Amino acid sequence: MVARGLTRRYGSRAALHGIDLTLARGDCLGLLGLNGAGKSTTLKILTGVLAPHAGSVSFCGHDLARAPLAAKRHLGFLPDVPPLFTDASVDEYLALCAQLREVTALGEAVARAKARCGLADVGPRLIRNLSKGYQQRIGIAQAIVHEPAVLVLDEPTVGLDPVQIRDVRQLITDLARQHAVILSTHLLAEVQQICTRVAVLHQGRLVHEGALGGDDCWLRLRLRATVSADQLQALAGVQQVTASDDGSWLLRVNSPAAAEHIALGVAQQHLGLLELRPADSAIEQTFLDLTIGAAAAPAVHA
Amino acid sequence: MINVVLRRELQSLFRAPFAWAVLAVTQLIIAYQFLAQVEIFTELQPRLARMAMPPGVTQLVVQPLLVTIAMLLLFIVPALTMQTLAGERRAGTLALWYSAPVALRTLVLGKFGGVLALLGVIWIGAALMPFTLAWGTALDLGTLAAGLLGLALLMAAATAIGLFFSALTSQPTLAALGGFGCLMFLWLCDWSARVDGEPTLFTHLSMMKHFQPFVRGYVDSADVAYFLIVIVSALVLTVWRLDGDRRAF
Repeated sequence: MVARGLTRRYGSRAALHGIDLTLARGDCLGLLGLNGAGKSTTLKILTGVLAPHAGSVSFCGHDLARAPLAAKRHLGFLPDVPPLFTDASVDEYLALCAQLREVTALGEAVARAKARCGLADVGPRLIRNLSKGYQQRIGIAQAIVHEPAVLVLDEPTVGLDPVQIRDVRQLITDLARQHAVILSTHLLAEVQQICTRVAVLHQGRLVHEGALGGDDCWLRLRLRATVSADQLQALAGVQQVTASDDGSWLLRVNSPAAAEHIALGVAQQHLGLLELRPADSAIEQTFLDLTIGAAAAPAVHA
Repeated sequence: MINVVLRRELQSLFRAPFAWAVLAVTQLIIAYQFLAQVEIFTELQPRLARMAMPPGVTQLVVQPLLVTIAMLLLFIVPALTMQTLAGERRAGTLALWYSAPVALRTLVLGKFGGVLALLGVIWIGAALMPFTLAWGTALDLGTLAAGLLGLALLMAAATAIGLFFSALTSQPTLAALGGFGCLMFLWLCDWSARVDGEPTLFTHLSMMKHFQPFVRGYVDSADVAYFLIVIVSALVLTVWRLDGDRRAF
């Protein structure tokens, strides 16, 4: 388990303002934010690569600043660039990583990490000669080889092809059952697909933190007639209405079953129903609201 | 834990052709000089025989050899240490060490040991060559041992300085240049010594001035202390510099 007090960091400018995050086994927290929002800085502080100006991080009760070695034993980290020794073979590299984290059953740990990341058949090959997708998976294998309680992944699917992205997401979902996982990304769909909780960073502040999914869901509605938001708001089951750039509407409803009432209402008013479907990314709207719309909003805990 | 870092450092050094090239070139130069000195020694033999206190084979062959190796080290060591930290910083692999349960001093000592182990091969070569003369001549083992001790201390000091410059930057070539510049300065800095031979601050700083007594067979505790101080301070500065990477200012 992980607990974090306020954390903060400056270059010459403020990068993070008092971020609070907690994580329990089985959690998969997605850290979202625009470029430069402070995602990587947050992850570097969580993993001891950077020290915070204020605040503390602890793993399984070990404070990262006071007992760094004990704390880091429970930590697996995949930075944005996988830290690979390209002149080593996959087996050698993973064995080295396991030794660094004081794993006793070395061969077993390496074999298990390789099996989970689909690396079983490339063990003796030099890392330098493997493709980017393999290298990314070696980076993940490196982070899980010692079965850490907390797994920190910085943009784990960047640069992968669609099949590899699907595999890696599946792998992370599996890992999240036994480990606490925190991952950063700017892909909203990724968070929606694999995370149980989401935290949104904007300009170094935590603007949203809460469970994902829940009862909320979003519908995308396209009409031939021109209507006002108030008109749609009046439909049964609609909680919130937002106009989308492409002329369609995003409706927040309390349950997917509300679609039936909306369709009925729209048909009765002869508004010309062209499209009504679940919105691709429910959190997209939340995200855009939080980062662009309500930039200065204080932290919201859902 | 230090063994893990040391083994990794050796792996990284020996997986690249550079270390092998360094070993080959050094060995070639040393061997050539060794043969040349032996040649001179045999030519001088008749004249030496007429002298009351002739210089021995150790003075005529081994001492110039050690000085040559010392000069070579000024070039070689920064080239070997440049990748250790600067290369890792550039490749982004320092994050692996930083996020692993490894203390910075363990990391630095491991890397120090790794480079020293490679230099140890050169040291062994330098030690074995004079021993081939032991069959035909009388070696001054005491002088030889003192010289080899001095060489080992010089290797360690140069490695520690090289590591420090490697910790400063993410550009290996810059690290090599910095290390080389610093070693060269330390080697030659008593150029500014006064004509009357009165020692100045630079005389005390000069690595050459502290190395030469070893070659001549004197082990002075002041010289040993000089090298130990250089080694320890460079290593401590390296750890500080790495800590500065993540510390909040």
